[in-house]
Amino acid sequence: MLGALTALALVLFLAVGGVSRAFHAQQDALGQRWFNRGVADLKARRFDAAVVEFRAALRYSRDDYTYQLNLAEALMGLGHTGEAQAYFINLWEREPEDGLVNRELARIAAQRGETEKAQRYYHNAIYATWPEDQPGEQEVERRETRLELILFLLKIHAKAQAQAELVALSENLSNGSSQDKASDEAAQDEAAQQARIAELFLRVQDYEHALAAYRAVLRSDRHNPAALAGAGMAAFDLGLYPAAQPYLRAAAAAEPSDAQIASTLAITDTVLAADPFRRGISVAQRDRIAAQAFAIAGERLLACNATEGTAETSSQRNGTTASADAAKNSAASGSTHAAGPQPSLSERWEKMKPQINEAELRRNPDLVEPAMELVFGIERQTSTTCGTPEGTDMALLLIAKLHEGN
Amino acid sequence: MVPVDAAKDVAADVSVDNEITAIGAAVPDPTVPRYASRALLQLLFREDRLFLVLSVFIGIFSGLAVVCFRFAIAWCRIYLLGSGAVLSPSRMILAPTLAGLVIAVLVIHVFPLARGSGVNQTKAALYIYNGQIPIRTAIGKFITSALAIGSGHSLGPEDPSLQIGASLASAIGRRMHLSRDRMRLIAPVGAAAGLAAAFNAPISAVLFVIEEVIGRWTAGILGSVVLAAVSSVVVMRLFLGSESLFRIPPVQLERPSELIAYCILGVVGGLASVAFASGIGALRPRCKALPRWTQYFQPAVAGLLIGLIAFLGAPQVMGAGYEYMDQAMHGQFTWQFLAMLAGLKIIATMLSFVSGTPGGMFAPTLFVGAMLGAAVGGAEHVFLPHLTGSPGTYALVGMGVLFAGFLRAPMTSVFMVLEVSGNYSIIVPVILANTFAYLISRGLQPVAIFDVLTRQDGLDLPSMEEQREENILRVEDAMRPIEEPVLNAQATVDASLQLAESSAKDDLLVRLGPGGWSSVTKQELRALAAEGKGGSSLSSLSSNSLVTIGPIPFLHPDHPLETALRYVDRWPMIPVVNRADFLKLEGVISQKDVLDRYREFGEG
Repeated sequence: MLGALTALALVLFLAVGGVSRAFHAQQDALGQRWFNRGVADLKARRFDAAVVEFRAALRYSRDDYTYQLNLAEALMGLGHTGEAQAYFINLWEREPEDGLVNRELARIAAQRGETEKAQRYYHNAIYATWPEDQPGEQEVERRETRLELILFLLKIHAKAQAQAELVALSENLSNGSSQDKASDEAAQDEAAQQARIAELFLRVQDYEHALAAYRAVLRSDRHNPAALAGAGMAAFDLGLYPAAQPYLRAAAAAEPSDAQIASTLAITDTVLAADPFRRGISVAQRDRIAAQAFAIAGERLLACNATEGTAETSSQRNGTTASADAAKNSAASGSTHAAGPQPSLSERWEKMKPQINEAELRRNPDLVEPAMELVFGIERQTSTTCGTPEGTDMALLLIAKLHEGN
Repeated sequence: MVPVDAAKDVAADVSVDNEITAIGAAVPDPTVPRYASRALLQLLFREDRLFLVLSVFIGIFSGLAVVCFRFAIAWCRIYLLGSGAVLSPSRMILAPTLAGLVIAVLVIHVFPLARGSGVNQTKAALYIYNGQIPIRTAIGKFITSALAIGSGHSLGPEDPSLQIGASLASAIGRRMHLSRDRMRLIAPVGAAAGLAAAFNAPISAVLFVIEEVIGRWTAGILGSVVLAAVSSVVVMRLFLGSESLFRIPPVQLERPSELIAYCILGVVGGLASVAFASGIGALRPRCKALPRWTQYFQPAVAGLLIGLIAFLGAPQVMGAGYEYMDQAMHGQFTWQFLAMLAGLKIIATMLSFVSGTPGGMFAPTLFVGAMLGAAVGGAEHVFLPHLTGSPGTYALVGMGVLFAGFLRAPMTSVFMVLEVSGNYSIIVPVILANTFAYLISRGLQPVAIFDVLTRQDGLDLPSMEEQREENILRVEDAMRPIEEPVLNAQATVDASLQLAESSAKDDLLVRLGPGGWSSVTKQELRALAAEGKGGSSLSSLSSNSLVTIGPIPFLHPDHPLETALRYVDRWPMIPVVNRADFLKLEGVISQKDVLDRYREFGEG
């Protein structure tokens, strides 16, 4: 009897197997039909229709990875992040190295402010596998993901981490471009990527890398106005005013309405005009510039004293910036003072004033340096007590920063 | 308890089963010849083994049947309601209505036993029909339930699968000419197999069958039930894959304060269970009492009303609704809509069930629980944001809550949630909420839904709930303290007689030695003294003597009182001794003591 039962079980197994194949074939066909409709709707960004169709597809093949992935993406499009996340987590458990799933999970975590989780998923996605229908597609996806991570890091003010990711992204881009010498289209794409990276470098205040990236863009497109402006800004922030000037001029010519470029160019021009230590100028020019700078700084000091009362007095009373600056200036100029109360900037300026003109400076060239030290001291102090300077005062302050420590 | 013929082999840790066997062997029934008894034992032994092997076959056949049943439901759904996720309005209304008409004709004329969920029919097979369930019932259940669920009636496939499994098991048992005892138990074995395959949860299926159908735990039946459940699940997974019925979201108890919210869920679930059960309990006899011709239209009317509910904006109530439970768990609906779905599903299920449409109540119960849980979780999240976790957790706990409150299977409800979720971190909320729901349901609706349905059908099946809560009388409830002197086996016959003469009672207990007891009457002592053995000790009396002081059985205070019944008619007095010290007498029990106690118990 047990033999008969065994035989019956085998026969039934075969029969149910046949029925099962027919059933699953029908289910697969129905699933595929609804899936194709869903894909069409997803591409057309009709997320609600796509969700319904992918759900219908999943009725027939609940376990299908692609169906679930597409449904999850449609749900994301529809803003149903909770349900989408559940699908993505299921998919992630099945294939933890799927780049797309990791990136979507990172996006959800980022949306929810789960920063650690988001970073982890982003990193997974960067090093995960991506579909490669066309050569190089994986690299593109990885770059895009890293770019997204950088934007996320910037959003959460993690500048140092963003900078590190940018450096890695920049290196990836250089390696990728050197590996495949591509068409014009690819070159343009790379230039666009470099421009984006450069802009992000600017945002994380890594001006050196930003300048290098903009220069890379300009190598392939010399007249790219955004790159010219960006390179000019980066060079300006690095204090490379002679390098910034041509970029800014070109950018201003290309974008005459851009006020920021215009003002930066103006400051750059002023800095270059007001810097007596600039290379390639004659002694007479230097003396003239130094005398002008001394006069301008004096005016700024007087104006500042007039508005603020006696800034020096108050700062001495408070024991703050002025005396500190004075001390710093003294130390920087190498002058030694006897013990006792140090003369104020005003006193020093008044004392030096008769000697600082073109004729006197020509006679005594050694006065240029202490005169400029006093100018820098005045500009530094007044910038703290009377607010950010403008025009030549601003230029003098920038020159002061440039020569700080020299 | 000690074998009467081997007092010296007393072991301190003898189990009750061993004790009973030993007693049986020690006091053989004189009507059964020794060789016949042995042959019977061998036969029983072989049948035990055979039963286990058959359990595997039952599991395989049930698994195959459930796979086909699932295919049939899916095909009915595709051809009757359409293949899309959104249903067309005309199909929504026509499919359940027309299917209802066909089902009514089939149930009335071809498969009258296919009516109902299937759980009570399986219980009836166990307790009334000696395990007999006609195979025609399985066929009828298969066809009518597939048609009903596939056309959108608010019923589930689990209970019909349970009955199909039980029916197949019964057919196999009949073919194998199993004994009556085995035949009775084979239906629950098949039921567990069918339920496990339908639910893809073998542990819950085993527990449910033990808790609700069989009502007792014994090693023999448990092994068979487990084997059948596991084999059916394996077969089912072979053809349908191993994925669970719904995707389980990440669930966890984040803060202990959330337990308050789960208590609220338990209370709401308990009240909903009472409403659900009361509704069915009240409407079903009324529908049955309607003229016979209306029975042709009742399922159709139920189908029409369900179609209208779907048409008016809640197509989720149609069919088993697992995909919507899945969506509720993932927070796709607002709490207001979830609450509305829970209410509408209760109405839709009541309509389907009371109209006599064959189909199960498991899936609707889980549906209502999931919706209610997610609704309560969602509402609490709005009004008490510091108390609540994710809606998925509430939906999952809600399923268990309704299972405990409506089906009144508290243990299964807990394990079902754990098995389905695969997550033990929510065990505390599940137990807490289920307990509240169960207690509220038990308090407001004293008779469980399965028992209500049984009684409405004119059957008197044992209520598992009442059995679970029944007070068991024990030996300690009937024993009385010893008043007579206890003789010592080392004492002489004369000394013992002298002591015995001081007692008013005729029978006296004798303490034998390391752990045994005996009894002797005054007459026997007098006869021994007359025999000239007055100087001998009681223990030294040989078998040649007219009177032999041999061991008698003894009991412990915690033994069920029915155990005492097996011995009290053969000995006038049975000693009740301490489990740690067999010579320490806790009391004695006689037939009169037992009967008096039962009489008192019966009088309330």
